[in-house]
Amino acid sequence: MSDALKELIYKIADDQFILGHRNSEWTGFGPMLEEDIAFSSMAQDKIGHSFALYTMLRELGEQDPDTVAFTRNANQFHNCIFVELPNGEYDFSLVRHFLFDTAEALRFEMLLNSSYEPLALLAKKIRGELRYHTIHANTFLKKLGSGTEESISRLQKSLDYSLPYAMGMFEPSPYESELISEGIFGGEEKLREQWTKKLRK
Amino acid sequence: MKSLDPRVNRLPEIDIENSVSRKDPLDQLGTYEVFVQPKEGKPFQHEGALHASDREMAFVLAKESFTRRFQCISLFVVRTTNVFVSDTTEDSESVYDRIKGDVDKGGNQQSYEIFNLYKRGKQHVHIGSVSASSPELAMAAAKNKLPPSKTVYNIWTVKTSDIRFTQPDEMDLWNTLPDKKFRDASDYKGGDKLKEFLERSK
Repeated sequence: MSDALKELIYKIADDQFILGHRNSEWTGFGPMLEEDIAFSSMAQDKIGHSFALYTMLRELGEQDPDTVAFTRNANQFHNCIFVELPNGEYDFSLVRHFLFDTAEALRFEMLLNSSYEPLALLAKKIRGELRYHTIHANTFLKKLGSGTEESISRLQKSLDYSLPYAMGMFEPSPYESELISEGIFGGEEKLREQWTKKLRK
Repeated sequence: MKSLDPRVNRLPEIDIENSVSRKDPLDQLGTYEVFVQPKEGKPFQHEGALHASDREMAFVLAKESFTRRFQCISLFVVRTTNVFVSDTTEDSESVYDRIKGDVDKGGNQQSYEIFNLYKRGKQHVHIGSVSASSPELAMAAAKNKLPPSKTVYNIWTVKTSDIRFTQPDEMDLWNTLPDKKFRDASDYKGGDKLKEFLERSK
């Protein structure tokens, strides 16, 4: 049970940690000052979430958060490739932010009922932050998705590029059935279904 | 060649033909005013302005531009040009003395929010709402309905329907703000290091 739990926490934490750093690369280079600040703040939130999760791992016998975050080798990370992809243009970062944070909000929505109490408590605590992230992503996607020919085609291009990678967010854990039967997490398959349903809206 | 750095790719292209043309207009976005409520029981007050393409986006951007530090439980935004501004006075003259207490004779009654400025250089503070048929008459209504206890130097009024308020299901957006002390300078204690440095450089 402990291995399954650790694997799950590592996965969520590493995704947030890597994407938080990727998104923070926009600090100072955002498309406009207000958005630069908003995007940077959300990147900081992600690092905050990964810190909370690494701290949880420490309770489960892993090393301290800084050691875990900064001294592992690449092959010891559990994140999906989607979050590592270089930023490129802002349209891609925005689409990735939209796809990832929609999934993240749903994931923590599911974790609200986790049988592992620290995860349920964290899900409750960061609910408002995740809500803001999705409001932000939805507002930008809607605006640019109904903007000019350039904005629409850029979003579409980024979406076409991102979608196959985004599926990597839902890679099942080797302990998937254990996580589900123990009531720790509802499972990647269920999450992907909810996410797909949400995107269709 | 395409650079790996998008900023380089955005540089204007080099012109080949020799011609003089008009400068392109700036694609500057409009501005929105942001009002913040720091605590339960405290009034909303004006915090500043920002650029945004519409009211919804202004709300989204205002949250991080103006409430990423300190205290906040709610905010609202309104397009700058939808804020109506009275005269400005000084010293002991209250601007309300210049407002005639005209009786609002019907017309299309709408709700207006009233903001007073009690000290020049400070922020406008929300004091309440009135019903009126124009911004001018809203200020007149405020004179009767919300008489100020202090001298007021300037009044703003905004039609309530022009405002994007924080919705009830968005109230948890600031839940974790008290935990973000790392965004305040006061969270970084440099006093000892400074003292040590000054000692050494004597």
